[in-house]
Amino acid sequence: MSQRTERRRGIHVDQSDLLCKKGCGYYGNAAWQGLCSKCWREEYQRVRQKQIQDDWALAEKLQREEEAAYASSQGAQTQSHSQSTPPQTGHASLGPFSKFEEKKTNEKTRKVTTVKKFFSPSSRTPPKKETQEAKTPSPSVSRHASFETEQVSKDFVDFLKNLQKPGREIHKQCRAFIVNMSSKKELGADELSECVQDFYQNMSDRLMSHFKGSSDSVEQVMDQVEKYIMTRLYKSVFCPEITDDEKKDLATQDRIRALHWVTIQMLCVSMDEEIPEVSDNVLKAITNIIEMDSKRVPRDKLACITRCSKHIFSAIRITKKEPASADDFLPSLIYIVLKANPPRIQSNIQYITRFCNPSRLMTGEDGYYFTNLCCAVAFIEKLDAQSLNLSAEEFERYMSGQASPRISSSEADWPHAGPTPAVTATNPVLTQLNHNLELLSGLSSRQESLMAAARSLQADLQAWPERVQREVHSILEKYPLEVMSCTASAIDANNMDNDNLPSPLTPQVFAG
Amino acid sequence: MAAGGTGGNGGKTYSFKVVLLGEGCVGKTSLVLRYCENKFNDKHITTLQASFLTKKLNITGKRVNLAIWDTAGQERFHALGPIYYRDSNGAILVYDITDEDSFQKVKNWVKELRKMLGNEICLCIVGNKIDLDKDRHVSVEEAESYAESVGAKHYHTSAKISKGIEELFLDLCKRMMDTAQAEERLKGNGASQSASGRRGVQIVDDEPQATPAGGCCSSG
Repeated sequence: MSQRTERRRGIHVDQSDLLCKKGCGYYGNAAWQGLCSKCWREEYQRVRQKQIQDDWALAEKLQREEEAAYASSQGAQTQSHSQSTPPQTGHASLGPFSKFEEKKTNEKTRKVTTVKKFFSPSSRTPPKKETQEAKTPSPSVSRHASFETEQVSKDFVDFLKNLQKPGREIHKQCRAFIVNMSSKKELGADELSECVQDFYQNMSDRLMSHFKGSSDSVEQVMDQVEKYIMTRLYKSVFCPEITDDEKKDLATQDRIRALHWVTIQMLCVSMDEEIPEVSDNVLKAITNIIEMDSKRVPRDKLACITRCSKHIFSAIRITKKEPASADDFLPSLIYIVLKANPPRIQSNIQYITRFCNPSRLMTGEDGYYFTNLCCAVAFIEKLDAQSLNLSAEEFERYMSGQASPRISSSEADWPHAGPTPAVTATNPVLTQLNHNLELLSGLSSRQESLMAAARSLQADLQAWPERVQREVHSILEKYPLEVMSCTASAIDANNMDNDNLPSPLTPQVFAG
Repeated sequence: MAAGGTGGNGGKTYSFKVVLLGEGCVGKTSLVLRYCENKFNDKHITTLQASFLTKKLNITGKRVNLAIWDTAGQERFHALGPIYYRDSNGAILVYDITDEDSFQKVKNWVKELRKMLGNEICLCIVGNKIDLDKDRHVSVEEAESYAESVGAKHYHTSAKISKGIEELFLDLCKRMMDTAQAEERLKGNGASQSASGRRGVQIVDDEPQATPAGGCCSSG
């Protein structure tokens, strides 16, 4: 565990430092004095055996001394009573000694677990005061509890409340199972898987008889049971140190990194990332597959894979305008896995196969997508020149980083690559970038011309009133204002017929 | 999609997994789309994908949930076959009657399936595209006699003109039910339930060994 964290943080550690000090070829662990788990156990057993033998030897020696002392002092009968006890203390010293030994063992194992805890990802959330876990008999179970487990316990209890009496029974069994599992830390991964699967089987059989064959309610309860026990067991059974899951994880991760040059065209993926909606779906698919590592429950991990697959299907559907077949889907999923390089992919796959409720994994839709993911990873592991339609030399050159496929393969492999095949073939993101750059430069030139036009318009506008004024002036100059003098006359001055008119009427005055 | 286990004693529901195998372009996808959606090359196909489809059937009063797993047919994915077809109850091996090569591929698949899964799996060999009978390159007699020689049933279908597909799936379901019932009788009624459940688990445990072995054999 520790060496993984070291790698992740980028501390350079020589490969040989990580290996078991005994040279058995497995990785060692600082907590086990640089030995691997197996050698450590052997070594530890040996030391312990020796210690016990030494203790015995010491005890026997003491007893002999005591007996000798007792024999020599036999003459003095008065002291015999008080002296008769030492032989017993000799024997009794065995007790404390072995106790001491036990204590030491405990201390050692605890040290290992604390080291583990220190490196494990959820050590950020320190174990909190637990109300429910406090009752659990085994301290090692409650010690692993964190906020998440507390939450899941609460949910589980809430869910079971609806079931009343059988609910309590289920809860009791699950708790007993978890306690039981925590005492089986030494078992191999396959045995652990066997235990969990047996538990699922027994539980679902019992539920089946309880619900009288209603498989829907059984499934509902089983989902909750899975959620509860796997959240609680997650830390001890995910990527256990006994297995080489971790080694495989690193190998796959390196493999995917080495394959960074694989293009979408080499895999014959029918997703056109130049369509914005498609690239959107691709990004979401990548996010989902990476998110898988953060889930604890196998079913939640499966759900991430399913969401990822759905996004891939959308992307294919948009590109091809017809429903995606497996012929389209698998290459696309491979492409997504290559692009995402999901963390701890092998461990996750192993975890799901070992601890998922089999009814879900075997026949359902989730199972199909999971199987495809397994196929994608298997394909990436075995990928060779032939599977990419490349010649062996080409493949070698790309793998060693001597050449990159951008120019050599693009014209041959992809006839409809468009005006810039060399760039298109390398990386769809680059293509998009280039495309956007072109758009931008076009836009800026258009804006420039717009600005120029605006400026000329402004100049025109400023010139216009001047011009108008000038014109007005010129016109005014050409036709100066002439004021004509004219004689004013009364309205009826020119009236000739004035004389012919009768004299105006005079008002008549009447006296009162 | 309650792909519930083969549980319950009275109203029994069978859940079967069927894999579709065959070279690319032989019409595997069209076949299932015709069966599940009754559509062919249609712009109105509603499903997002045609690689995992389910169908619920009722055969002589027994409920059957069929999960049809499409597989990638490209040659480069051939080695991944075992991961797909483990645990399946039936396999539909599709070839194109106008393409001799695709029939050869079917023969390879049959050999592999029999080697890996024995006789527990029901095999169907399907000659698709019989609407193109004038371009036929695989003779009817050859195909049928071959199918008989390996204990498989042979069918002629056309997804385009919708022919022979219902019969194919119905027949396959019946055969799978027979196999399942025979298996049950063999193991006794009481143990059957847990036995069928455990079967899956044990095969899961085998996976790490089985996968690389299959890969090596078929690629080498």
